Amino acid sequence: MNAHRIFSPILCAVVALAITGCATPANKEAMTVTGIQIARQHDGSVSVKTSGGVETGAMDSSSISNADFKSAIEASITQNKAFKSVMQGKDANYELLVSIMQLDKPVFGLTFTVNLEATWVLVKLDDRSVAMKKTIKSSHTATVGDAFAAVTRLRLAVEGAAKKNIEQGLQEIGALSL
Amino acid sequence: MKKMSFIIALLAAATVLSGCAVNRATATVDPSADFSALKTMHVVKIPEENAGIDNLIADDLRRRGYTVTTGTDKPTNVDAIVTYVDRWMWDITMYLLELTVMIRDPQTDFPVATGNSLHTSLTRKSPPEMVDEVMTNIFKEQQK
Repeated sequence: MNAHRIFSPILCAVVALAITGCATPANKEAMTVTGIQIARQHDGSVSVKTSGGVETGAMDSSSISNADFKSAIEASITQNKAFKSVMQGKDANYELLVSIMQLDKPVFGLTFTVNLEATWVLVKLDDRSVAMKKTIKSSHTATVGDAFAAVTRLRLAVEGAAKKNIEQGLQEIGALSL
Repeated sequence: MKKMSFIIALLAAATVLSGCAVNRATATVDPSADFSALKTMHVVKIPEENAGIDNLIADDLRRRGYTVTTGTDKPTNVDAIVTYVDRWMWDITMYLLELTVMIRDPQTDFPVATGNSLHTSLTRKSPPEMVDEVMTNIFKEQQK
């Protein structure tokens, strides 16, 4: 019996599985913004809604889910005191609607640059007036130095683009006179 | 033994390859978007794109009753600007892997709606099918 002939295809299969791997979704902690200076911290409470996110399938590339994006935005607002408090439901003073319009991810390469475009709409709930309506574009690049495995590199690029988008969004909110 | 190792390799390959069929179609519409107010649209053609995706999108919108022009410019005297991003892959032949279409306010470039369709090689769709899927999802979403 030739051991080489038995184990070669098995070894090839194992290597293939290792390289292919499984994509994981963008992590909400990795997308959370901390320690930034905001021009103005607003009194009042805010509730956050997100849309346009997608779940990451087993063989899909890393994406941002609505739930994780919402959690990251809420945590970022809290940690940077953009508003006095974050609430769930319709009892807040303001409602922040963040929609992921485009998440442009590369398919392969050594360097992954992910581009994210999201709309940020802040509505004052007592009169439904729109306090802010902006498109925020962000971008993040992950290299082989950040992660050797392509699936991890892509996830880092997605998380970085989301984190930058949240930071810019908070800065825009901080620039408002509410 | 030779047969067994071949079967093992085949099973492993099937495990890897069978999961590679990814299909996704999504649409997001700004809650304040009012499509009933839109009559004229302009599809912004990507200069280096030669697959005619701009014309496919324009034809689809015309079938839905809109007056549509195409070109590489971005006019402001229309009700909406339509942009797209097409991503192609090669697998024996070239195929359209992913298509994203965005409808924007021509004055502010604010995206009022976006639709995305992704189909990997094993479940690939033709460009007209992808365009139809994306546009149908956008218009379905705005009716919600």
